[in-house]
Amino acid sequence: MDLVHLLLPHLLNGVALGLLFALIALGFMLIIGVMEVINLAHGSLFALGAYFALSLMTPDGGLRLGIAQVLFDLPVGWRYVIVLLVAPVGVAIVGMGLEMCLRRTYGKDPLYGLLLTFGAALVLEELIRLAWGPTERFIPIPSAITGGIAIGDLIYSKYRFFASGFAILMIGLLWLFLEKTPYGALIKAGAHDSEMVRALGVNLTRLRLFVFGFGTALAAIAGIIMAPIWGIRPHVGVDAVVPAFVIIVLGGVGSFWGAVIAGLLVGMVVGLTGAFATDWSLISMYILLILVVTFRARGLLGKKSILEN
Amino acid sequence: MTVDQLRSWITPPMLVSFAIFGTLPFWIREVGLYPYLGVEVLIFCIYALGYNVLLGYGGLPSFGHGAYFGIGAYAFGIAQLNVVSNLWLCLLAGILAAMLFGAVVALFISHRRGIYFALMTIAFGQMAFFIASKWTSVTKGEDGLLNIARLPVDFGFVSYPIQRNGDFYWFVFACFVVTVIVLWRVVHSPFGKVVQAIKQNEARTAFLGYNVVLYKGLVFALSCAVAGFAGALFAMAQGGAFVQVMNLQWSGVVVLMVLIGGGFVSFWGPVLGVVLYFIARDLLGAYTETWQLWFGLLFMLVVMYKPEGLAGIWQGIVHRKQRPRTSATVHLLAMLKAR
Repeated sequence: MDLVHLLLPHLLNGVALGLLFALIALGFMLIIGVMEVINLAHGSLFALGAYFALSLMTPDGGLRLGIAQVLFDLPVGWRYVIVLLVAPVGVAIVGMGLEMCLRRTYGKDPLYGLLLTFGAALVLEELIRLAWGPTERFIPIPSAITGGIAIGDLIYSKYRFFASGFAILMIGLLWLFLEKTPYGALIKAGAHDSEMVRALGVNLTRLRLFVFGFGTALAAIAGIIMAPIWGIRPHVGVDAVVPAFVIIVLGGVGSFWGAVIAGLLVGMVVGLTGAFATDWSLISMYILLILVVTFRARGLLGKKSILEN
Repeated sequence: MTVDQLRSWITPPMLVSFAIFGTLPFWIREVGLYPYLGVEVLIFCIYALGYNVLLGYGGLPSFGHGAYFGIGAYAFGIAQLNVVSNLWLCLLAGILAAMLFGAVVALFISHRRGIYFALMTIAFGQMAFFIASKWTSVTKGEDGLLNIARLPVDFGFVSYPIQRNGDFYWFVFACFVVTVIVLWRVVHSPFGKVVQAIKQNEARTAFLGYNVVLYKGLVFALSCAVAGFAGALFAMAQGGAFVQVMNLQWSGVVVLMVLIGGGFVSFWGPVLGVVLYFIARDLLGAYTETWQLWFGLLFMLVVMYKPEGLAGIWQGIVHRKQRPRTSATVHLLAMLKAR
């Protein structure tokens, strides 16, 4: 019983973290799948989502439009809902702009796409610093999801429950979207063989634009949910994008459930080491990655993919 | 040694670069810059040239190369402060430490390709970074390993002090010359040709009977050794070893320098890229706090419109001068001649 008490909060923290990591990684993976691009700017777009949320939630977030005052007069709960809908769309638009730049690198060495997004990450981070300043910021959240919740004699943060629940909801919706709708079928087909999809008469340019926007919107959602847990800093993106790499390789490129399982694994390993061996928490996920990949070259559930050539 | 043999060791662009960097202390103040900039540029040239053997010639992207640069710096400092204060032995310690760590990493990654290779280098690079920042008893963590001296250049019978930036510059210049000649020979050796073949088509190179995993591992370890060498020099330049150079962003910066200069199309690309980076840092940095924004935008434009980088632009200009006819007319003339 004592062991449970000792471990449970950290495991729950790990699960919340892992689910959000999985959400970031899934958006990242959609982009790898359809565009064969490692989007190094994914972390910066994650951060941008949080900053957009900041601007929409508080008057001192930098937004000085008259119309915004209407928003700030709303109760904080409604504002939060609006933010969760609007901020990802804003980030998706930025992401689509990035995809338009990326177009020139398609069909060349995949390294160029990676480098372009590296440049974009630098630019976005500097722009964030310019617009919102270099200091750490926090966004207000509705009182309904603040404070603690008692389960038996254990008190646990309500917000983390909300974060886990929301991430599960998003992952579930994403799965339904990919598996049960014709658009999802197109995306999966695009990830399998985009040239063939084009040959079958699908507008590949539009598909790519959409998938990039969609993937970055997922990063933005994760950014908004993560903001109260991590705080918002201009360089917070690195903390998000690196676990996403690890999760993709660990779970296997192209595997939906692989990413979810790997996300949970990484989250729990980071959560537990964070509690009991703080110094190790930052490198534990790399050790996990190296251990797994040494024995399973394509990750937990990965199949052979085009990216290996 | 005949002229031809000499040419395979020393090429005209090499002489140009030696002439420019060899005279740099005499004119750098005149153009409004300072000698220490020359030291930084040369050290990063060594680092970037070594990195380009891996990226430009081997086609193997490493996004964690800062780790080996940092390991070189720490190994140099630790050897100097705890073991022996001899320049050559300490430099050797820096090179060997980076090379050994690189070789161990190569065991895990050299059978991987493309994006998997890149992602694994990030994982190992981040691991090294976090270990260096947390292992405070050895690396002094965030404070950095301080009091690393610029040891005298001791040839046994004669010894030169290099504490002053002006003297230190000449030592770094000598290191640059040696690195350039060695790496030029490596990429034009049979070993270098196999590495380039792996870049073009790994499977076919393997079918020809080459052990591609071994070659990839060797070229990785080589470029790590050069990074360690540059790191050791950087520790001397800064008078300390700091963990920042090992983080993901600094690892990315070397890739950025190599690519913006045109490492894919030229041996000299990395040098051009390093010079551009440092000049941009100093010139743009003088006008605006956010010079990284402008440099990032410039970099994006280069990748989009001229992915061959500065060296590619240069080659485009030279080729246009050499061949005024378009290739279509050349073909036409050849056809007419054949009749």
